[in-house]
Amino acid sequence: MASININSLAENASRLGMRIQETFSEHTRDLSITRGSGSLFDMPDEKVKNIGRQLDSSSDREKLDAMKRLIALISKGRNVSSYFPQVVKNVASQNLEIRKLVYIYLLRYAEHEPDLALLSINTFQKDLTDSSPLIRAMALRVLSGIKVPMIGSIVVLAIKKCAADISPYVRKAAALAIPKCHQLDEGHQTSLIDIISTLLRDRSPLSIGSAVVAFEAVCPTRLDLLHQQYRRLCRLMVDVDEWGQISLLNLLIRYARVMLPKPVLSHDGEMVEEADSDLQLLLISAEPLFQSKNPAVVLAVVRVFFYIAPPSQHSRFTNPLLRILSNSRAVERVALSYLVVITCAHPHLFSSHYLRLLVRADDPQQVRRDKIRVLLNILNADNYQIILREFTTYAEDMDDEVVGNAIAAIGHCARLIPDCVPQCLAILMDMIRSKQDIIVSNAVQILKSLVQNQLLSGTVVANVTHSPLSIISSLAGKIDDVRHPQAKACVIWLVGQYCVTQESGTFFEGIADWAPDVLRKSARSFSSESNIVKLQILTLSAKLLVMCPTDRTLGLLCHYVFSVARFDIDYDVRDRTRMLASLLAGLSPSISGDEDTQDQGGVVLRREQVKRVLFEGKEDVSVNEVIPGEIHSLIGSLSLTVGKDVGSNTVLPEWLESGIDPTLRVNEDDPVLTPSVTTARSQYPIVSANTAPIVLTPNQSTSPPGNGSKVPWKDLDKFYEDESSEETEESESNSDGEHSNESEEDSHEDNTDDSVTDEDGSSIPNDGREEDQEGVQENTV
Amino acid sequence: MAIDGLIILDSAGRPVIQSGYTSHPPAYPIFHIDALNTALSKATRPEDVDPVLYVPPGFGGEGSACCHVEIGGLRLVASVSGDADPLVAFAFLQAFQDILIDYFGTVNVATLKDNFDTVYQLLEETLDPSGHPLTTSPNALRDIVLPPSLLSKLLASLSPSVNSTHPPKISCSGANAAFASPIPWRKAGVKHNHNEALFDVVEDMQSIVGRNGVTIVSNVWGKIETNAKLSGTPDLTLTFTNPQVLTDCAFHPCVRLQRWSRDRSFSFIPPDGRFVLAEYRYAPPQSVVTGTSGIVPVPLVLKAVMDAGEFGGTLSLTLSSRLSTKTMENVEVEIYLGEDAIGAQCAASSSGTGTVGVGEGGGSWTFDPRRKVLRWEILSMRTSGSCMLRGSWTSKAKAPRPARAFQIRFDIPSYTFSALKVDQLRLSGENYKVYKGVRGRSRGSIEWRW
Repeated sequence: MASININSLAENASRLGMRIQETFSEHTRDLSITRGSGSLFDMPDEKVKNIGRQLDSSSDREKLDAMKRLIALISKGRNVSSYFPQVVKNVASQNLEIRKLVYIYLLRYAEHEPDLALLSINTFQKDLTDSSPLIRAMALRVLSGIKVPMIGSIVVLAIKKCAADISPYVRKAAALAIPKCHQLDEGHQTSLIDIISTLLRDRSPLSIGSAVVAFEAVCPTRLDLLHQQYRRLCRLMVDVDEWGQISLLNLLIRYARVMLPKPVLSHDGEMVEEADSDLQLLLISAEPLFQSKNPAVVLAVVRVFFYIAPPSQHSRFTNPLLRILSNSRAVERVALSYLVVITCAHPHLFSSHYLRLLVRADDPQQVRRDKIRVLLNILNADNYQIILREFTTYAEDMDDEVVGNAIAAIGHCARLIPDCVPQCLAILMDMIRSKQDIIVSNAVQILKSLVQNQLLSGTVVANVTHSPLSIISSLAGKIDDVRHPQAKACVIWLVGQYCVTQESGTFFEGIADWAPDVLRKSARSFSSESNIVKLQILTLSAKLLVMCPTDRTLGLLCHYVFSVARFDIDYDVRDRTRMLASLLAGLSPSISGDEDTQDQGGVVLRREQVKRVLFEGKEDVSVNEVIPGEIHSLIGSLSLTVGKDVGSNTVLPEWLESGIDPTLRVNEDDPVLTPSVTTARSQYPIVSANTAPIVLTPNQSTSPPGNGSKVPWKDLDKFYEDESSEETEESESNSDGEHSNESEEDSHEDNTDDSVTDEDGSSIPNDGREEDQEGVQENTV
Repeated sequence: MAIDGLIILDSAGRPVIQSGYTSHPPAYPIFHIDALNTALSKATRPEDVDPVLYVPPGFGGEGSACCHVEIGGLRLVASVSGDADPLVAFAFLQAFQDILIDYFGTVNVATLKDNFDTVYQLLEETLDPSGHPLTTSPNALRDIVLPPSLLSKLLASLSPSVNSTHPPKISCSGANAAFASPIPWRKAGVKHNHNEALFDVVEDMQSIVGRNGVTIVSNVWGKIETNAKLSGTPDLTLTFTNPQVLTDCAFHPCVRLQRWSRDRSFSFIPPDGRFVLAEYRYAPPQSVVTGTSGIVPVPLVLKAVMDAGEFGGTLSLTLSSRLSTKTMENVEVEIYLGEDAIGAQCAASSSGTGTVGVGEGGGSWTFDPRRKVLRWEILSMRTSGSCMLRGSWTSKAKAPRPARAFQIRFDIPSYTFSALKVDQLRLSGENYKVYKGVRGRSRGSIEWRW
């Protein structure tokens, strides 16, 4: 008996010891801080089997561990939907950490397992009344993520409930749930639109951005819903979060285009711009956002000014746009692609800022290309000297495409600004001497188009060294150095086309001396040339033969070229040979190589006719344009950045000539404020237009509709008055009960939601952004 | 403007973190990863890869694009399609990157793998499944997603039983405190033992110097990086003795724009912790001689003789500082020698008394055979004297095409180009002394054409 007791005691003791050791090692495992969850992330596969058991265990720590493992597996791209039933059970866990991970899991898989997710729908609904706004928001997120049309009405109810939540964070989640619900079942559109218009009336700027997102997704055409809110949204702009500002600005651009009259220029005596006061309000409210640190916000404001501002205000976006170029390489790349379009439309805005747009050798390829285009766009008589010098430098770039663009840009300069033609020609002639093949070939092609242009237009520059013909003659002299096939073909064509000369004393009458020389050189290397060069050699010999049919040497040379070409490996070359040979049959019967040409009959052209065929009709000077033609994409769209159609379908609506009746925009709750006062920077006084029909009944303390379900609104100033004694003078003078006015103001503290009242209020002296406003209020009271 | 999803790739191009992509076919993110990896492997210089990569449509759909940035050996990738603005994607990537740094200090594969659950929670809170950025202010996020800390790890490992008995008290405290602050960017109820506000004025010079040694363009971009550890709700006013040097400013949302436009002072209630208060461009004083806006002088001189002949060339560089008192550090001169470059042979030396390197006087040089870049580094360059690098390089090409300019980078500690000077920092709303610290730091990146 005693021995048994001792035995069992010993056994128990050893068991206890083992237990302690186990738990100890288990607990210390996670203590190794440096390893952290990394071990979980890269766990061996056999551990995966334990996940199911861990999820069912009663220990929170085990569950948390299992959830982390699941998230790690998701992250590695494994499908872990088989754990769904076990995970769902944990959705009501008391531990917030577990719950958050469960929600993340559910958000991934609720779509794939809607039936199972439905089982837990009660838990989500219960969570909607949780005390933590975080849980309420997450529950709504999962609920709206379950894609079963059956529960559509439950989701609508949940959204409605959350849209009236006291926490703006939950209201934001409600707004974001709306598009998902709409996607699921469009039948709920009317009730959803109601919720959206409630959310748009929200006092807190925090959820406005999401409400706009919902608006764009559910009812983008119902701009009429915005009438009442338009002025308030404009004033609220500064305080909306940065992402919300972007959505809001884009929406208001559309609103302005459809609902406001187009700003017009009237010509009575002098140019007077007329812009609607509501349009001015939008512009003035948007302008301070130029100083946002977020480049996307700055661009959104640029869009506002680019698309709806009257021309005199366009210059406002020059500096902000240039500023975001220095933000980061990626931002520079994207912003430059928009700048190309903007400078196309308004080159004068940037022409004095060319120094900020110079290309650096270490810029990424796309940036270098876009900068060259922008520089070309803004080129004018004042800055061409420096820009031209820059292009010359860029021609030595490491990237072939940039070299091509730079040299083409030089040609473009010459066309845009006639004064710099000699300079451009000098630069290009210089380039032909370069050791780099790519520079030479590009320069030759641009020279060709320049020379041709000049000969055609007849504006021959007085400068003798760079007269078109002397350029051709020097090109002809360099034919051996030109290796690039396209460039070589180009030179040979030029030589053939302009070989006719009036000068006497040349070796062959009527032909410049260099032309037969080029033919001699190229005939020698004919077989080793590429196709386009061969074709041009044929053309050259045909032209020379027409000009000088009697000369024996020339005839032999041509004969040689034609006989070689007739047996060329390429059928294009053979075709061309045959065509030219029959064309020339009247001048040199033997050239076709066949003895029986005479018998073939058909039409034989006379010399004059052949000349006409070969030389005339070459006016079409097409250069590969650096600047593309019309650009349809909007600024701030992906298709503009990648230069390809990516299925974007946003089209900016055209202006309506006369806007809608401005009285529709009158909101009872609007404070009596002239638009300029609400802006942070009122240094741009608006035109007299702000006396537009703002007929307001200011001091009616009606609370805005839709907020009835909330805890009674407590004015911020009141709140501070209660909580602290240190009040600034201004706010004291104001706390005389004008709640409806005060509450509409766009101060930062407006974000206070009612939950603040339970917290110990810390005193915030009045925000400077509303100081001026306060002053005006005092006057109006 | 929607972002389809976010992926974080490790240095080998494998995904570490990946957001839901619930409304896309499963192959969609894979296409993006593949497109990026292919582009990166093709490019000789990784910076030449277009940050907005076009991804052709997979099956019947429309094309999309992959926006990517590099950080700590990782690549953050955001996929965008349709009429989205890539600029929003990049702004979001920047914000997300700032959040990661705020949470984990540094960002690399190890920290992400250690804290992947936190990263997923952050992703959930910052990016809506429909692709709209949500809360990105670190102060607000810290209330929602608890940052990993020693304490929370200890709690998690030591007290599972405590956790289950009093769960709401421990675990939900964060959730209840969330959104309690009346100011979106500042947490409520902050307490610090030492109240201090540190301002780092960081300036970055971007210049291009022409062949003749004349500065063509030179701009200085500044940032005021702030670390505010202040209790309660402090209302600060920062004034400068020379605010006229600031132009083209951009501000953190906390700065009252009206005060700035009225009396050129920064008035703000700061977020808790690190943030960038403002960004600006240095407006140099008008030059008396030319009457135009002056150019910020480049603080060094490079005399470069570069000769590219057949199969290589020679170079001879002389670098000297123009600063009168400050020492320049980590000076790097780089030149790309063209894709056919094979190698280089140089000798670095110094003259005068001023230079101190590690080991020898004129710094050290290396040739990177993968990037084909010749790099010359000088750890520390004093005010007088100069450093020289002479040598030759070889190439496989008959007519080699080296880059047309040298890229020079340098740091100047405790120096600002603008000489921006803080006049005073006033605190209202709280009753304690604030320790104020202001430091300057400069760096530069100069393209010197030869």
